[in-house]
Amino acid sequence: MKSIVIDPITRLEGHGKIHLFVNDDGGLANCYFQIPELRGFEKFCQGRPVEELARITTRICGVCPDAHHMAAAKAADAVYGVTIPPAARKLRELMYNAFYAGDHTTHFYALGGPDFVCGPDAPKAERNILGVIAKVGIDAGKKVIAQRARGQRVIEIIGGKKVHPVTSLPGGLSKGITKEEQQEIIKIGQEMVEFAKFTVQVLNDVVLANKAYVDLILSDTYTHQTYNMGLVDSNGHVTFYDGEVRVTAPDGSKHAQYEPKNYLDYVAEHVEPYSYLKYPFLKKVGWKGFVDGMDSGVYKASPLSRLNVSDGMATPLAQAEYERYYETLTGDRSGKKPVHSTLATHWARVVELVFACEATLQQAQDEEILSPNVLNVPTGIVGEGVGIVEAPRGTLTHHYKTDQNGIVTEANLIVGTTNNNAPITMSIKRAAEGLIKKGSKITDGVLNRIEMAFRAYDPCFGCATHSLPGEMPLEVIVHDATTGEIVEVARR
Amino acid sequence: MKPILVLCLGNEVLSDDAFGPVIARLLDHSAYQHDRVEVMFAPVAGFHLLDLLEQREKVLVVDSIQTGKVRPGTLHFFPMGQLAPSKGLTTSHQINLPTALELGRKMGYQMPDHIDVLAVEVADNTTLSEELTGTVAAAIDPALKSIERWMAAHSTETAI
Repeated sequence: MKSIVIDPITRLEGHGKIHLFVNDDGGLANCYFQIPELRGFEKFCQGRPVEELARITTRICGVCPDAHHMAAAKAADAVYGVTIPPAARKLRELMYNAFYAGDHTTHFYALGGPDFVCGPDAPKAERNILGVIAKVGIDAGKKVIAQRARGQRVIEIIGGKKVHPVTSLPGGLSKGITKEEQQEIIKIGQEMVEFAKFTVQVLNDVVLANKAYVDLILSDTYTHQTYNMGLVDSNGHVTFYDGEVRVTAPDGSKHAQYEPKNYLDYVAEHVEPYSYLKYPFLKKVGWKGFVDGMDSGVYKASPLSRLNVSDGMATPLAQAEYERYYETLTGDRSGKKPVHSTLATHWARVVELVFACEATLQQAQDEEILSPNVLNVPTGIVGEGVGIVEAPRGTLTHHYKTDQNGIVTEANLIVGTTNNNAPITMSIKRAAEGLIKKGSKITDGVLNRIEMAFRAYDPCFGCATHSLPGEMPLEVIVHDATTGEIVEVARR
Repeated sequence: MKPILVLCLGNEVLSDDAFGPVIARLLDHSAYQHDRVEVMFAPVAGFHLLDLLEQREKVLVVDSIQTGKVRPGTLHFFPMGQLAPSKGLTTSHQINLPTALELGRKMGYQMPDHIDVLAVEVADNTTLSEELTGTVAAAIDPALKSIERWMAAHSTETAI
C-alpha cells in the first residue's frame, strides 16, 4: 500500500494535509483529512471582558473577521440580556451583507473560479486570479477589485475600520452614520447590484455554457446526500445576520428549526484521534461515521446548504437566480428537492452574492438607519449568551459564560468550517475514489480535482498568522505503507 | 505619490507573529519621525495590500518569517522577489504579495518599484499569546536600528 500526502493544500486558510492510502493495485484504501488547527482560543477568551471579544475575535480568523465580530457581538448582547435598538440591528445587518458581497466575490473569482475559468487541468501557475483575468479580461479584473473595495468601504463607514470592524458593543453600536454616509452606501449598493448581474453573466458564459463543467458539477464524484443547515428569517428566506437555525434532511424534509440559544439540544461533536478539529453532527440522528444518508447525523453548513434549507431569497434578482439554480440542477424551482452536488456550492455562492448586493442597496435606503439611537446601555447581566450568524463558509456559533462582572469564564465556538469537517472528509474520499483507479497516473490535474472537492467548501482552518511561511509548494509524498519508506516525492 | 511606507504586518495575538505590530508601536515615537516616511500596521494580507501599496514609490515590509533554516530571532533583510520566501506574505485564502503586485500593475495601479522586506525568524507563530518569545523579543532593537537606517536613507534619496 502507498500513502499519498497532499500538503499543504493550496489556496486554503491554514494548512491541511490529505492522506490517501493507495493499494498496490492503485485503488484507494482509505482517506484521512488532517488539520493542524490553531487551538486554545476558548482558553484565550477566559478572564477577558466579554465586550472585548468582538474585537479580539477579528484577529483569530484571517478570512471572516466580520463574521466573528458579529457572532461575538450578538453573544455579548445576550450575556447582558439587552435588545439592541432597531437602527443598530439594521446597520449591523447592512454592514454584514456588504461584507458578504466582498467575501463571496473573492472566493468566486480568486479561489474557486480558477478551477472553472482556467480549467482543472491548467498548470498550477495559471490557476489563480491572474489566470482568470487573462481569460475574462482586464476590465473584469477591475470590476472585481472595485467590488471588493466597495464592501470594505461600507465596513469602514459602519464598522469604524476597513477590514476589522470595531463598533459593535453589547447593546448596539458605538456610533451611527450620517446622511452623507447613507448616500454613499446607496451609491455603493447600486454599483454592487450591477456587479452581481455581471457575475451572473460570467457564471453563465464561462461555467454553465461549458457542458464538461456542468457534467463535472453533477457527477457522482462530487455528490453527498447529507443533512443541511442554515439560518432562515421569519419568512423562511436565507439570512446571514440573524434568524432561526433550520436543518433539513437529505430528502428535503424539515428535521428541526431552533433558536440559536438551544443549539446544544441539536448539535454534538465527534472526535477522531488523528485530528484536533472535531466533527459536529446532529444529536437526534447520531454519529454513524463518515457516511451520508437519512440515518447519518453528518450535515453541511455552506451556501449550498443555506439554499437547501430555505424557502427562497428575500430579494427579486436573487430569487430568480435561486429558481434557475434549482430548475437546472433538480428540475424543481421551489428548492424542495435539495441539491447535493458539492461543486454546485460555487453557483449557490453566486446566488447569495446577488442577494447580498441587493440587500445592501435595499437596507441602505431605510431611513431608520439614520437614527442616533444605536445603543441600549445594559443595566443588568444574564451571564450566558449565544450568538449565531452565517459566516460565508457556514453557521458560526459563539457561546460565552461570564461572571457577574462580564468576565468570560467559559467560551465555546463552532466555526463555519468545523461544521463541514465530516462532509469535507467524505468529499475528498469520494473524489479520490472516482479519480484514482488501478493503473491510472496521479497527475497534477487529478490532485487538483481532489482539491476542488475541498475548495468548494471555502474552508478556513487556521488563523490569521501572516508570517512568511516560505515557499508553499504542493508536496506529494508517496510512502510504502509496509516499510514506511518514502518511495517518491513530487513537488509542484 | 504618497509617502514612503514602512508596512508592519502581523497578528497581535499569535506570539511571534506580533513582531510587526510591536515594531509599529515602537516606531510611533518622535525619535523615528522622518519626512516622507509613513509607518503603518496592518493585520491584513492579499487583496487588502493592494490599497496600501498603491501610489507608494518605496516600501519596507516588516514581518515575521519561518524558514526553519536559521535560529529564531535572526533578522532577514532582502529585496522583494529575490528570495523564495517572499512568495508568502499572505493568508493562503487570499492572494500572495507578488500576485497582488502583478494584479495591481495589470489593473493600471501605480505599484511600488522598490520593496524591501525585514523579517524576523519566528520560534512560535501558532500559540495564542500577546507575548513575543524571548529570542524574537531580543531582535527588536537590532530591527529598529535597521529600519532607522532604511528610513534615513530613503527619506533623503529617491533611489538607493
